[in-house]
Amino acid sequence: MSILPPDLDEAGFAAFLSDLRVAVGEDWVWSSDTDMFPYRDSFSPVWNTPEEIHASSAVAPADVAQVQEVVRIAGRHGVPLHPISTGKNFGYGGPSPNVQGSAVLDLKRLDEVIEVNEDRNYCLVEPGVSYFDLYRHITDRGLKVMIDCPDPGWGSPVGNSLDRGVGYTMPQFRDHFGAHCGMEVVLPNGELMRTGMGAMPGANSWQEYPYGFGPDPSGLFAQGNFGVVTKMGFRLMPQPEYYRTGLIRVPRRRDLVKLVQHVNYLSDSGMVSEVRFASPLSALLGNPEFAATATKLGGPTDAEMDAFASAAGLHSWAIDLQFLGPEAATLAQWEYAKDRVLSDIPGAEALDGDHFALPATEEQLDNVTQPYPSAIRRRGALGVPSLGIWEIVRDDGHVGFFPVLPRDGEAIFELQRVLGDAQRQYPLPPYFSAVTAPLFWHSHTFQMVFAPSIKRDDPEHNAMVHRSMKHMVAVAAEHGWGDYRAAPIYQDDVAATYSFNNGSMRTFLEAMKDAVDPNGIIAPGRGGIWPRRFRS
Amino acid sequence: MTTRREVLKWGAVLPALGTGWHGAFAAAPPNNALGLDAMLVDTRFPGALAVADAPVPVMQFAGDVTRVWFDELDARWRQPGFVLGGITGSDALFVLEVLAQHQGRKVISRVALDLPPVNGVQAVRWIIAPHHPSVTA
Repeated sequence: MSILPPDLDEAGFAAFLSDLRVAVGEDWVWSSDTDMFPYRDSFSPVWNTPEEIHASSAVAPADVAQVQEVVRIAGRHGVPLHPISTGKNFGYGGPSPNVQGSAVLDLKRLDEVIEVNEDRNYCLVEPGVSYFDLYRHITDRGLKVMIDCPDPGWGSPVGNSLDRGVGYTMPQFRDHFGAHCGMEVVLPNGELMRTGMGAMPGANSWQEYPYGFGPDPSGLFAQGNFGVVTKMGFRLMPQPEYYRTGLIRVPRRRDLVKLVQHVNYLSDSGMVSEVRFASPLSALLGNPEFAATATKLGGPTDAEMDAFASAAGLHSWAIDLQFLGPEAATLAQWEYAKDRVLSDIPGAEALDGDHFALPATEEQLDNVTQPYPSAIRRRGALGVPSLGIWEIVRDDGHVGFFPVLPRDGEAIFELQRVLGDAQRQYPLPPYFSAVTAPLFWHSHTFQMVFAPSIKRDDPEHNAMVHRSMKHMVAVAAEHGWGDYRAAPIYQDDVAATYSFNNGSMRTFLEAMKDAVDPNGIIAPGRGGIWPRRFRS
Repeated sequence: MTTRREVLKWGAVLPALGTGWHGAFAAAPPNNALGLDAMLVDTRFPGALAVADAPVPVMQFAGDVTRVWFDELDARWRQPGFVLGGITGSDALFVLEVLAQHQGRKVISRVALDLPPVNGVQAVRWIIAPHHPSVTA
């Protein structure tokens, strides 16, 4: 299957590839079916259907100068480029582009950890550096800083943060784009730009003050298509001395409202790392009567749920708390958290969990000694990259819709009910029920997850999943819950839901896109932003 | 690196699994004179341990490839050469294949095995070999 770039014939495509080979070398340009297979979206619900978007080719430059040259070549030939760092954001499109026939700009050869500074707590890396690479660089040298990594850790800090990915440590680090500080970008005309203090020749504070002076354009490159990021700085947490955990459980369904308020206080005060919410009542979902109640149309009453909890001797909600810092400080914070919650919510109880000096041993990382059931993935919680999360992937992968909702217990109940009702028409596991707990990944908001699996050999199932994704995005938006991140095939749907004042934000961004990238060379369509050339 | 003869000798242990290893190896390009440098076994599948005495280094893991990849394979795959055979779950192979592709390698042979699935995961035997000129020996 030969895929051509838009508006190019075979001869034009051959000329484009020839120019690329001159720029980066024969061995680093690909266009055959075999070579392009890894650049397909492995988790695509439209796999092998006419809706699947294929790249025409891929190119892997060795350095920033070659990136600039590739961008100029693409500009001359009018070929859209789809930049990727390591291309491993499965569930969000992987390395696949928005436009059929795009050339993947694979930045995996830009793989230098340029600097890790343990005195000022930052790093500066290239896009091809994975979390594993950065972790190895730090541990091999015994540097006293901790990374915050997503699951699994094979992606790159640059790519993950540019897709606004998340981790599992303290709030100021687990929002990966929020933790970035300074970037270098190849613009659509091939020119090189640095943001923040990087724009000032001679400044030695590029990774310490992100803004510099005047408007800060760095936000345009996250889920955006205004340039190719070739370097990026990140704030790092100093290696904590100690790690402590504890569990707090509350008895009644409605207790979640107060519990969330306490967690908001603890988190926004900088006292806790990622908080894991869970409902112990999830253990009852194997009971058909309970499952029917928890997923009933319109949602159950508080009394119905409390009756099940009481009969089973289970609490309605639990929070796994984690503390990082000096040993005495973690103990004081845990004691404070216990006192704060238990004195306010009748029937609440607290259990002391594992606690130990860092760095953790392998056994401690395995999280096998916790005296209660724990939802914490200890490696992620302590900035240790892992591939173990793959155990949760079912069938041939999954898609993902993660609506953003307020940190408010009532909002959780409403979302459980609304999206639970919305998904009933699809033969899928109940992603939203009366026991669905929020995810506290981003620093100041909650999310929930809808991630149905896909099956390569079952196109009818995939088509159903595809319909359900679009439906759920639309229903959620009617209630003000927007997706935070999406695969290319859903980016237009999601972008359309951010429609305040006739979509003035999208109009503004597309006006800028037309101004700086009139030929639509950099990732047209990414983030729902289309240049005039492709807008129709 | 082991020779093709050694690989075939190694393959002799596999009929015990009833899997027809020779056929799987024949699926590789006929002019491919590759020999296996190591073997990777996923201990979730007890039957896979039948190759534990293979005449090449045998690495073991149980579903999660993190340690074996981080401690062994990542460095090996950054250098030219190194042909790896494996009997693993299909889930682990997916992870390994993605990591291998990143280092200019590809799966040149892949056969589902007639072993009992574990938690719905199928056992697969496979070979990952250098593909890109930067890592072909």
